[in-house]
Amino acid sequence: MLDKPKVIDAKELFTVDPEHEIITRAKQGDQQAFHQLYLSYHRRIYALCWRMLADKDSAEDVCQEVFVQLWQKINNFRGESKFATWLHSVATNIVLGHLRKQKNWLQRIFSIEEHTTAEATVELQDDFEISSLDKQIQKLPERARLVFVLFAVEGYRHEEISTMLGMAVGSSKSQYHRAKSLLRESLSEFSYE
Amino acid sequence: MNKVISEQKLEQEIEQLAKEVQPRRDLWLGIERAIALAPQNNRLQDITGSHNPNENKRKSNAFIPTAWAASVVGAVLLTWFSFSPGALDSQSSINLASSMQNSFEQQKQFVLASFGQPELKQLPIEMQAQLSGLANARKAIGTALVNDPNNSELLNLLRWTQKQELDLLKQLYSPQWQTI
Repeated sequence: MLDKPKVIDAKELFTVDPEHEIITRAKQGDQQAFHQLYLSYHRRIYALCWRMLADKDSAEDVCQEVFVQLWQKINNFRGESKFATWLHSVATNIVLGHLRKQKNWLQRIFSIEEHTTAEATVELQDDFEISSLDKQIQKLPERARLVFVLFAVEGYRHEEISTMLGMAVGSSKSQYHRAKSLLRESLSEFSYE
Repeated sequence: MNKVISEQKLEQEIEQLAKEVQPRRDLWLGIERAIALAPQNNRLQDITGSHNPNENKRKSNAFIPTAWAASVVGAVLLTWFSFSPGALDSQSSINLASSMQNSFEQQKQFVLASFGQPELKQLPIEMQAQLSGLANARKAIGTALVNDPNNSELLNLLRWTQKQELDLLKQLYSPQWQTI
């Protein structure tokens, strides 16, 4: 018995990916196309910035910086990965660069590991509905928070995170476990308050 | 009494985290302004770019010394033309001045190309005036050098003016999204 002939999906073959078209137009300097990209991605990029920075003002500023740099560097996107993946990696690098610059010598001497960002969280509560987990992520020590967000939320591997954060792979894993146990404890406290 | 939640429960919570969060303010307005001043190009920016909110203030303030510089150049030229000594012909000096001008034009084109050949007429009037002042000073020095091609002070002044103009162009077109 003959196999059924393969049916070519003409629609799939000849339909131009609308996002691809928008990216191409943005690469050519079309600001309207770039605005469409902004509308599609700014909430996701803002979420990334906010979770990593644990501060709404910085997150907004850095989110803007991401899109300005995206405008300048969009020609570097060669389509080898998904645009969203590429954009998230650009955004992650910008956030980490921001954090590096933000730390002054005093913070370097007195590790900010022991500091949490409860104040920022309290401020954010009025702005929009935040999940219990998000509230507790904001309170994590910085390195644990960064590793947690990059691994659990953004889906990076520990090897990638170790390179980004300049730490050993083992440290990334231990920070992740530390973050998880802190979250499990704090979420239980939160539930019984 | 506190009961630590299970690993599985935490995994569920992570799965349910919102993928998108709405910023409190409209970020596009600032981005739109910034990209108008930051032309698109293939240049790889430093992705850890400056985020100092005072930086833009510093950049704006940089125009004040430039304005002073242009004024000083103008005053020196005025004095020079008033008390100019007789001209001496020297083909080599004329060539030097000409070569400096050519080199400057090449550098200027290179700088403009690196910023995506921006339209200078789109700059704010104040900045156009700064650039125009420096360009006029440069031209006036060039004219003075035709009459006095051996004058090392004029040659130095020409080099200095050219540098000011290039520096100003770089300042104007460096990314300024910190203004957001």
